[in-house]
Amino acid sequence: MEGAKKKKFRSKRRAERTANAVGHIVLAVISVIWVVPYLYLLLQSFRGEPGAYTSYLLPKEFTFENYTKLFTDTKLFNFPQWYLNTFLTALAVCVLQTVIVLATSYALSRLRFRGRKGIMNLLLVLGMFPGFMSMTAVYFVLKEIGLTQSLVGLILIYVASSAMQYYICKGFFDTIPKSLDEAAKIDGASRHTIFFKIILPLAKPIIVYTVLQAFLMPWGEYMFSSLLMLGDQSKFNVANGLRQMLQRENIAEYFTRFCAGAVLVSVPIAALFIWLQKYYVEGVTGGAVKG
Amino acid sequence: MANLSLKHIYKVYPNGTKAVNDFNMEIADREFIVFVGPSGCGKSTMLRMIAGLEDISAGELSIGDTVVNDVEPKDRDIAMVFQNYALYPHMTVYENIAFGLRVRKLPKEEIHSRVVHAAEILGIKDYLDKKPKEMSGGQRQRVSLGRAIVRDPKVMLLDEPLSNLDAKLRTQMRAEILKLHTQLKTTFIYVTHDQVEAMTMGTRIVVMKGGFVQQIDTPRNLYRYPANKFVAGFIGTPQMNFFDATLTQAGDKAELSFAGGEAVLQLPMEYLRKVRPRYLCGGAVCAGIRAEDISLAPNVVAASPYKVKMQISHVEDLGDESLVYGTVGEARIIVKTTLSHEYRAGDVCEAAFNVKKMHFFDAETEETIAPRLPEVNELACSAHEGKLTLAGAEIALPPALQGAEGEGTLLLPTDAVGFGGDIPAVATDCEQVGEKYLIGLELGGARLFAVSARRIEAGAVKLAIDFKRVTLTVGEFRAEPLPDSIRLAGTFVKKKERRNASGEPSRKKMINFYLDLAGASFPAPENITRKLLSTLSPRAVFSAQFLFEFTPYALTFGEAGIAGEVLSVVDYGAEQFALVRVGEETVPVLCERPISGMVCLVPVLEQAGVCEAKSGIKLL
Repeated sequence: MEGAKKKKFRSKRRAERTANAVGHIVLAVISVIWVVPYLYLLLQSFRGEPGAYTSYLLPKEFTFENYTKLFTDTKLFNFPQWYLNTFLTALAVCVLQTVIVLATSYALSRLRFRGRKGIMNLLLVLGMFPGFMSMTAVYFVLKEIGLTQSLVGLILIYVASSAMQYYICKGFFDTIPKSLDEAAKIDGASRHTIFFKIILPLAKPIIVYTVLQAFLMPWGEYMFSSLLMLGDQSKFNVANGLRQMLQRENIAEYFTRFCAGAVLVSVPIAALFIWLQKYYVEGVTGGAVKG
Repeated sequence: MANLSLKHIYKVYPNGTKAVNDFNMEIADREFIVFVGPSGCGKSTMLRMIAGLEDISAGELSIGDTVVNDVEPKDRDIAMVFQNYALYPHMTVYENIAFGLRVRKLPKEEIHSRVVHAAEILGIKDYLDKKPKEMSGGQRQRVSLGRAIVRDPKVMLLDEPLSNLDAKLRTQMRAEILKLHTQLKTTFIYVTHDQVEAMTMGTRIVVMKGGFVQQIDTPRNLYRYPANKFVAGFIGTPQMNFFDATLTQAGDKAELSFAGGEAVLQLPMEYLRKVRPRYLCGGAVCAGIRAEDISLAPNVVAASPYKVKMQISHVEDLGDESLVYGTVGEARIIVKTTLSHEYRAGDVCEAAFNVKKMHFFDAETEETIAPRLPEVNELACSAHEGKLTLAGAEIALPPALQGAEGEGTLLLPTDAVGFGGDIPAVATDCEQVGEKYLIGLELGGARLFAVSARRIEAGAVKLAIDFKRVTLTVGEFRAEPLPDSIRLAGTFVKKKERRNASGEPSRKKMINFYLDLAGASFPAPENITRKLLSTLSPRAVFSAQFLFEFTPYALTFGEAGIAGEVLSVVDYGAEQFALVRVGEETVPVLCERPISGMVCLVPVLEQAGVCEAKSGIKLL
């Protein structure tokens, strides 16, 4: 009896070990596939030899020139200007979008009004359509009010649809017990006070998430930027600008510089993420209600 | 001063569910009121309506002297403690307690002294710098109490504050909340589903079920005089034993026979005086007796004439006492006893009932059939030539009841028996029930009850009977009581006119409100206008049908008004009433002299009650 038990136990452990091994091998393969392009990009950005493509991964000559030239050689491609454009856009979008998303989510989570369900569904469905469907219409509208070839116009496009991203944020607000609102209400707080003093401090993780999402988007956005800024290189964002370096006539000379630019683009995003990361994981509702 | 007045309060959700129905209560200053009932009975909803967290669908809620239906929670001067504590997790204990004061912008020193004072009272002074998550459940609930008391509110509302605590802590916190109540000298309203909590804490308890108030009384009275089977079963552990049985009167005894068994008890009628006679003719009733009112002790059983055979199924030993479970006939029974060791499962023994403490309920409605204040006396009588004979006593009948001849019954409401008339009787006893007195009377050989607002000493008294409220059935003759209220359907309308509400012409167009009532239109009195406009949505108020309720005294004859035809005039001696046919209703109207033909009725609308016809919700 005892022996049988032991045997069963051992075989279970073996099965677990095999499953673990298989799992780890699969994950390792996937992560290699995943990491290689980034590694390639990073290595290429330090490549000293010219040309678009090399048949080897490790550069023969390491240099920082690609980075320095991005900022010094601005005659053809004004990278610092693009970088600044994108940064300003991202900053503005980040602030405006966060405010709009938080306000929408709070309203949809806490207030009960006629048409609430309808609005929620409508926003959800609208959010499923790709943004470029409305591209031409948006372009003509902006042209009418004279906001083409302007960063304000671009920010407007980015921010306009932010309410559609209420879903995750509302889900988080729903997990904050309503009795907190009610307790504050009885304590004499107005809706305004409840939102800023009670709900927002508790919603840090989701605010961080929203901020990151909003800040991230303009760095990689190409379509609206290229359409709106058509012909005016000084208003380009990084994605749109770096794309210019990959034109057939430029790629041979500028490919390594393009890689350096791409690496630089990831710097602010990574920095922001590292800074905000600790709030991301901090569980804050502990102790609010029975734990 | 923080008394509360709750009048006809309803909570109706948009989908039509009624969570609270016609809640009426007056709460005095410094009372400790407990709302108790099973989950979903509307007790928390009621509390949240008092707090202002839920809208009141209909009715009137006043705190102190102000109607607060439309007052924000923060301006009601109330504080609330939640079941899940609802502490702000990102704030320290100090900040949690101070939050309400900071929002109200009190000076810093004042806030500090108040917070420290509250913390001292609750014994959490050492934890002021901690965050809620670092504290235990009991401590968190103390913080929550601190947050409530620091504002020194007029009314403290507690929504199941101890439900999340373990049993030992609960008992301890119970005592602390009671101590707090005496210290703070303020009104407490406490919601719980635990009847032990209710019984030990409340000065008065409101038992609720399915949105309806079942009974409002002191813990002792709830235990002794449950108004219905639900209250009887809900209050007290172990639960009261119930038996389906029949009651049959035979002389001065009544036979109580248990359904499905041979068990029969002969109860003295003395204990069943308040039971209406119609339950004593072999009808099905539900008999109830508490576990502690049954005895298994041999000496008690030997001396008792009221015993039944009981088969023991199992015994629960609780140390100082034990619960013996068994069956009597088909009914299950629990007996609380201190002599457990002598009883074993399977044994058959005799159980003695303390029949004086038995309760009886209607088998269908489950209401008690022996209320503390009986509503009506049911008496055998005979009538002959304008005289009513009640067990030897003769009473002159008023002209309206002259036609009665023969044997029959008289239903005489207990509050229709007045003192100071000309019918000689003897008062035998006087029992105080709440603010009223129940007087036992002997009229000839008949025994009856009267309800009086003042104490009546035993001895000879003179009675007056209000004949317009009696039901007399003798032979073919049947006299119904005059309805104490009549209802007329009507609507609320607005008209734009070049005159004001009192009829004086004005240059500007004014909006005047009218009540269209049974084919006539009357200017709506201000109280009704205000009430209807404030409780119903603008769309509903002008399309809804209302029922307007009047007493026979709130209608007068006039030149113009509701048209009707006088059917007859009934004469009760002191008063005469014309029965007027209005549409399909027959409406009694006080009249000074005989009247006939077509008349016009003018209602005194200020005194009218209003309810919505469709939902039956009382608005005024």
